[in-house]
Amino acid sequence: MSTDEISAKVTAFIKERFLSGDENKELEDTTPLLEWGVLNSMNTALLLMYLRDELGVVVPPTGIVAENFKDIRSITKMVNDLGSPQRATVAGTE
Amino acid sequence: MDFDLTADQQRRYDETLAATREQLGDAPSGADGYFTRQQWKVAASLGLTGLCLPTEQGGGGLGALDTALSLEAFGRGCRDTGLVFAVCAHLLACAVPIRDFASQEIRDGMVSGLASGDVIAANAMTEDDAGSDVGRLAVRARRDDDGAYVLDGEKSFASNAPAADAIVTYAVTNPKAGFLGVTGFVVPRDLPGVVVGEPMEKMGLSSCPASRVRFDNCRVPEAYRLGAEGQGGAVFQHSMAWERACLLAAYLGAMEHQLARCVEHARRREQFGRRIGAFQAISHRIAEMKQRLESGRLLLYRGCWLLDNGRDHVGAIALAKLAVSEAAVANSLDAVQIFGGAGYLSAAGIEQQLRDAIPTTIFSGTSEVQRELVAREAGL
Ligand SMILES: Cc1cc2nc3c(=O)[nH]c(=O)nc-3n(C[C@H](O)[C@H](O)[C@H](O)COP(=O)(O)OP(=O)(O)OC[C@H]3O[C@@H](n4cnc5c(N)ncnc54)[C@H](O)[C@@H]3O)c2cc1C
Repeated sequence: MSTDEISAKVTAFIKERFLSGDENKELEDTTPLLEWGVLNSMNTALLLMYLRDELGVVVPPTGIVAENFKDIRSITKMVNDLGSPQRATVAGTE
Repeated sequence: MDFDLTADQQRRYDETLAATREQLGDAPSGADGYFTRQQWKVAASLGLTGLCLPTEQGGGGLGALDTALSLEAFGRGCRDTGLVFAVCAHLLACAVPIRDFASQEIRDGMVSGLASGDVIAANAMTEDDAGSDVGRLAVRARRDDDGAYVLDGEKSFASNAPAADAIVTYAVTNPKAGFLGVTGFVVPRDLPGVVVGEPMEKMGLSSCPASRVRFDNCRVPEAYRLGAEGQGGAVFQHSMAWERACLLAAYLGAMEHQLARCVEHARRREQFGRRIGAFQAISHRIAEMKQRLESGRLLLYRGCWLLDNGRDHVGAIALAKLAVSEAAVANSLDAVQIFGGAGYLSAAGIEQQLRDAIPTTIFSGTSEVQRELVAREAGL
């Protein structure tokens, strides 16, 4: 998956789940998600589940740091760096 | 699938139950109503203050499930639930993150004291404006030129703090990083700038003193940091996984004891020429108490097992915490009703169980927060 695709997917997820669709189109790839509380502990856990289930990327505990989650640009870079995403299959459900 | 305890587990459970009954059964608390160092030392001599700490440092080397089983026996054997809670908070919310995240220097020096009972620890996370929402901390830790941190601000609810030698706490090191800008520390009580408040009056768990803790320009050397800078949220959640799983096991034990008393009472007490247990209103109440206890127990053992096996455990432990705490409150209300007027009077110790059970749906994350976690795991 290209970085553009990753970025688009992450942006869409954050808009839909945490910003009620972001009707005013305020979310940019440098919006400070942590500082503004868009990503709090609950939401970040949901995002991690999305990355795992939809992009096949498991972020290790050591990767859950501010640099990796401060904005969409850093999340995209982290997902890209964590290697070639494959679709995760959960035994018994797919 | 095997639902039996192993021979080792059964032996440890039986020994802990017998020893706590004998040595801490209804051990009187100190003159001020709080647990004494002597009681703490007895609990430590039974291995309870170090169950899951490494054996090389005097701990029991147990995993979460075995720790829970021992705490269940403790909760069943000891009538002073405040003391049981105090030991659990020390072990699970404090010693666990020190064991897993302290620098080697501090870990080597402190863990043996935590296990032996020489060091009592308190956990201070909650603040006036940050309860369930621990991402909103106001306590700050500023880095000084020499690498030390300077802590400023006040924590509002720390069990054990008036008796503590060490305080595990969390402060904001990077305000721009939101919940990922929080860092954990273990702060020796005697550092200048640590101000522990007077014990606060509360509804139950009365032998466990709780107070506010203020940090006034308190310099904490870097070695006392827990984990990396910004990792505090994860350190805290790790400690809460252990606390939600293992502390609530003590309440399984307390409920076991309570149920036995209710059965005994319902068999003995006669009204209208019959044992009250012969009234279906009473016998079914007891059946429901049993059902809540047993289902909570299965959820809790499984949550511990997942934790021990390094599997996803957050949702399972949330379910267990929710089930056991709600059961503790419901069963305690039932017990008061079954005992009638005697249940309401203090002498029988039945109303005290209710007062000790109420906080279970609040501490270590409220029931509402557990339901949020469960809903999240369910895909909402
Ligand atoms: C006996 C006892 C011992 C304690 N010991 C310690 C200790 O040692 N160290 C420590 O740091 N703290 C301790 N606490 C404090 C405890 O952790 C907090 O009380 C708890 O986290 C709840 O925070 P709060 O009291 O500020 O309530 P709030 O967070 O203000 O909650 C008030 C109500 O709102 C609900 N609520 C909040 N957010 C949501 C949401 N998102 N969705 C739905 N409902 C919500 C809550 O469930 C609750 O019913 C202890 C508490 C008790 C009762």
